[in-house]
Amino acid sequence: MNTEALDVTAMQQDLARSGAVIELFNKFGESLFTIQITADEIPTLWVSRAHSYGVLNFLRNNINQPYLLLYDLTAIDERHRDHREGQPSSEFTVLYHLISPSRNDDIRIKVALDDADLVLSTVSTLWRSANWYEREVWDMFGIVFEGHPNLHRILMPSTWKGHPLRKEHPCRATEMEDFNLTDEWVEEEQEALRFDPEKWGIETDTGKDTDYMYLNLGPNHPSAHGAFRVMMQLEGEEIINSVAEIGFHHRGAEKIGERQSWHSYIPYTDRVDYVAGVMNNLPYVLSLEKMAGIVVPERAKVIRIMLCELSRIMSHLLFYGTFAQDLGQMSPVLYMFIDREKGYKIIEAITGGRQHPSWFRIGGVAQDLPRGWDKMVAEFVDYLPKRLDHYNDMVMRNSIVKQRSKGLGSFTTEEGWDWAATGPMLRATGCDWDIRKKRPYAGYDQFEFEVPEGVNGDIYDRCAVRVEEMRQSIRIIKQCLDNMPEGPYKADHRLTTPPPKELAMQDIETLIQHFTTVTWGPVIPPGECVVPIEATKGMNGYYLISDGSTSSYRTRIRTPSFAHLQMVPFMGNGLMIADLIAIIASIDFVMADVDR
Amino acid sequence: MEWSLDKVQKGAQPRVNDSPAAAEAVEKNVLMGKVEDWVAWGQANSLWPYNFGISCCYVEFASSLMPDYDLARFGAEVIRATPRQADFMVIAGTVFRKMAPVVQRLYDQMLEPKWVISMGSCANSGGLYDVYSVVQGVDKFLPVDIYMQGCPPSPNSFHHAFTLLQEIVASERRSASWIVGPEGVQKIARKSQRETMREKRLDIVELRSPDEV
Repeated sequence: MNTEALDVTAMQQDLARSGAVIELFNKFGESLFTIQITADEIPTLWVSRAHSYGVLNFLRNNINQPYLLLYDLTAIDERHRDHREGQPSSEFTVLYHLISPSRNDDIRIKVALDDADLVLSTVSTLWRSANWYEREVWDMFGIVFEGHPNLHRILMPSTWKGHPLRKEHPCRATEMEDFNLTDEWVEEEQEALRFDPEKWGIETDTGKDTDYMYLNLGPNHPSAHGAFRVMMQLEGEEIINSVAEIGFHHRGAEKIGERQSWHSYIPYTDRVDYVAGVMNNLPYVLSLEKMAGIVVPERAKVIRIMLCELSRIMSHLLFYGTFAQDLGQMSPVLYMFIDREKGYKIIEAITGGRQHPSWFRIGGVAQDLPRGWDKMVAEFVDYLPKRLDHYNDMVMRNSIVKQRSKGLGSFTTEEGWDWAATGPMLRATGCDWDIRKKRPYAGYDQFEFEVPEGVNGDIYDRCAVRVEEMRQSIRIIKQCLDNMPEGPYKADHRLTTPPPKELAMQDIETLIQHFTTVTWGPVIPPGECVVPIEATKGMNGYYLISDGSTSSYRTRIRTPSFAHLQMVPFMGNGLMIADLIAIIASIDFVMADVDR
Repeated sequence: MEWSLDKVQKGAQPRVNDSPAAAEAVEKNVLMGKVEDWVAWGQANSLWPYNFGISCCYVEFASSLMPDYDLARFGAEVIRATPRQADFMVIAGTVFRKMAPVVQRLYDQMLEPKWVISMGSCANSGGLYDVYSVVQGVDKFLPVDIYMQGCPPSPNSFHHAFTLLQEIVASERRSASWIVGPEGVQKIARKSQRETMREKRLDIVELRSPDEV
């Protein structure tokens, strides 16, 4: 007991000594903060509501090597949580996860709120990306952000009653009133979708003798890549102003996390970024493994990386084809789907699934590689580069593609950070922020690859970055193929799920352990953890809170597409409608990755 | 071919060409049938899908249009961007409460005759997503003709569902007018695929080992 206490104090000391925390202590005084120890070892500081804005402002604007990236902003309903050792009392906690790119360092700021007084000042003036995140917190928890320019519901319909992520809100549809879609309801909802420019603070007076035209693109539009809509204020074909509306694809994945066992939540992760397959399992299991202290064997690591990179190729090929199609090229997508089918054949041979394999497990993968996998993979890595050369001539060197994409929809690295852009979107601006390199996770430090960068941050560069990333992924897969280690495919740890069957037959203890882990699911020790990964579209991470039970207390899914889609008006305003279609295509988002 | 402009004489016999060649030509070129049969045949073989998708299933639906699977073989590659030009709608994905009124509006915009395929578990019953924001099955507000299982179903199973839809369309009869026949659409009873395929399923006794590719 004493040694544990000593360890905790030592860890707190370590945290207190690290860079930004010292600077905060010097600036504001140590008494203002409470340090919390988290499993992911990110400095986590509690600060009172009165001081939160000042602290965040300091971290954003005044500190050396500032925290430019608001990686995540979310809340926790703490009212039913048992394990809150060392944390200030709080009913609702708003948390800010910030990243300083130049320090390559994270900090987490938490603010405690009372249920009776859920008000906090907005930080949308500090980070532009905070706008949607704060709207989401308002929608899901009912926390009001004072000074927010348009604090409307974002995921739920504007007619919704209640805030879904509060613990008292029902999770299941079958716990709620029966669904009965009446004509009146259809009319009411359609009326609620009517675009009211004034609600969004859009100036309607042209100052001339003419009127603006208002055009609604979506929620169902063939070029919108999913169910979302953009409402546009037009002068001729020029977009003067626009508002993006999401929430048509909100599947309540975060709420579901609170009811599924840790293990049985894995299939839900596949369906978040639904074109990236097993890549979605990775941040979830990594976060759990860190909390549980599981060390994954080498073979499992390499298998995971191989399949993740294959998923990246699958996702980027889909992007590549649909991007070309949105710019008016009919044939590339037909060719690229042939390649995707070849990729699916490998994924199917290894995992048994196509789009949603749900194949990673806590502590490893579901099964060993089948005999003959190496031949299939070798053929694929040999085949794809030639096809990519072909597509390069077909798409990237096409003059119409260039004219429609070069110099349009561009932004700078600085603006990218401000909008929380990550992944190829950010790298297209000439930034090397790839966390596979910056903070290697899951064994990426063992691989040789380059991080492709763009120059102009425009539509064309975003596509070029992804094309080059596919070649780098092939390079990584080749290394997996040549250096696949021998050994077990899952960890020998009591929380590995499902546990190794051989051990179950040794004695009654291991049998009981196996039985409970398989039936109830593993019990993850209390704690908080997030392990961001470089997913196909940007930084993806599962911020998990365990309250020492068989399911999560709070599952927060930080997805890249949510932040990226927020940039649509910023990139599209002032351009033509046709350019907006190209911009939407270049973002490469998936609506389930936006709305979850 | 012989022809003349002679006036028809009263009592004249029509000229009959009873050569075998003529009989063969008629056999090969002339088809007789009822209008409603032809209409059903034509509809079944030129079904135009509505290009509409909500979630993951749409990716597999799109795959079924692509060269490896090639929906064009069934005369259904003409995906339409507007519901007004489409014959059937594939509910490819999760039906959300926020999206349901939109789906209803789109369905209403399709012209009769129209059909609906519910693709995947979410559209069938909510599937994995028994959650506050999801409608537990599109049949809560739309009439569904075909249900497909899977999460998501493969392009092959989409083709299976599509050929079943073709059978349904080909078997339905709409009389040309209420004067000629009964009003409304005559439908055949739909067979449960679970029952139909039972024998075939029971015949499968050996499954491929997952240890081999």
